[in-house]
Amino acid sequence: MITMAMRSQVYEWTNLATGGNSSLRRSTTDVPVAVPTNREIDVFTGGYGNNITKPAETTATQFVVIEDIAATPYRNGAVQIRINTTDYFQNPDVTNQDGIPGLASPYPRGGSSTVAGTNNLLKSFDLYPDVYVLPGQVYQILYTAKTDDSGSTTVVACFVKYTLYDGPDALIANKLLELGVTINPNNVDWYKRSLIEQQQKAAQAAMQMAAGGSV
Amino acid sequence: MNNMAMRSQIYEWDASRTDGGGNAIASSGTNQDGQRLSIFVGGFGNNITKPAETTATEFVVIEDISISPTAFMVANNGAEPLYRGLTQAEGLAGGRSFCQVRINTTDYFLDPDNIPNDGIPGTASPYPRSIDFQPSFNLYPDVYVLPGQVWDVLATYYNAAGFAYTAAVIDPAQLQCFVKYTLYDGPDALIANKLLEMGISINPGNVDWYKRSLLGAQ
Repeated sequence: MITMAMRSQVYEWTNLATGGNSSLRRSTTDVPVAVPTNREIDVFTGGYGNNITKPAETTATQFVVIEDIAATPYRNGAVQIRINTTDYFQNPDVTNQDGIPGLASPYPRGGSSTVAGTNNLLKSFDLYPDVYVLPGQVYQILYTAKTDDSGSTTVVACFVKYTLYDGPDALIANKLLELGVTINPNNVDWYKRSLIEQQQKAAQAAMQMAAGGSV
Repeated sequence: MNNMAMRSQIYEWDASRTDGGGNAIASSGTNQDGQRLSIFVGGFGNNITKPAETTATEFVVIEDISISPTAFMVANNGAEPLYRGLTQAEGLAGGRSFCQVRINTTDYFLDPDNIPNDGIPGTASPYPRSIDFQPSFNLYPDVYVLPGQVWDVLATYYNAAGFAYTAAVIDPAQLQCFVKYTLYDGPDALIANKLLEMGISINPGNVDWYKRSLLGAQ
């Protein structure tokens, strides 16, 4: 397989599954499953809705930058990022919270705060600065429904947008992190260009030296 | 025909169309739900004559992909068969559609466990965009199709009951996919390759910048 070095990626979770509370692949026979109230559910391997085969983690040659998270606004849904064992969003008193409310970062955008579809919500929140997942770290996206759905099962969803840097670009991302430069595709390209310029200058200097000239 | 060196291009696919030899998706019997359908040569909707590929003198930059959206709601909401213009079934309004980009044999979008997934949900990148359905996703960085590569856009839907049908055939505008790309041809494809080597984003502005810098050096 060709390794593409920087790739925009998304993950969409819904509480739709076949033959139980969760399933690994989406299916045409998926139905909504009940999501418990006030419980953090890992959207990757939490046992509800569509799941993946193993916890989300970066390998030694990968670097992930999470750029957006969103959740369905109704049921007072909220979404939290956990890196290894640390929750990203905290209260001012440094206690835990449920994360970004779906009302502030709705999915879909233009979706409603009620299941009846009475309004169109816009986002109040931008994940800036982005969240970095360094090589070798495990990360989770945790969805919490804070209100009950009154006996009728509602379909809830969570959305994550991230960029995956792989191979040489992950090394550059690490370098940018050391330099204190924001990691985004533009800056990775800028770092590559500066490396190429340095190489070209070094090659020119070597040629001049070989020709007996002064540098 | 003159070769215009940089051209903004689009391709729109509609599952109800049959031009190009494709069949309209039917309400039953075809079992296309849950299957990946090439929007170019998949045999359903409007198709083209051969798989999308770049020649040795072409370079394609895919800048946006989108597909019909889905809304989430209460399961078995028989009282509201239509929701924001979409047909409702099993707590979903719409087809639960996704679109994936494939270059040669490699799928672009992966799950965090590094397994290829269905791609971008229409809910995140809706086509068409509206007040009810706005994008959460933009394709950045762009996807490059290098000279000599074959590329495809694959549409998948899981909720066939979320479409409207007439005479057992899907209605127009129920399942659509949209691709926006720029085609660089001839000398501009060579410049695009050069920019790629230099680690510079390939867009019309940077191609023009490279041309200006060549002219300046002369």
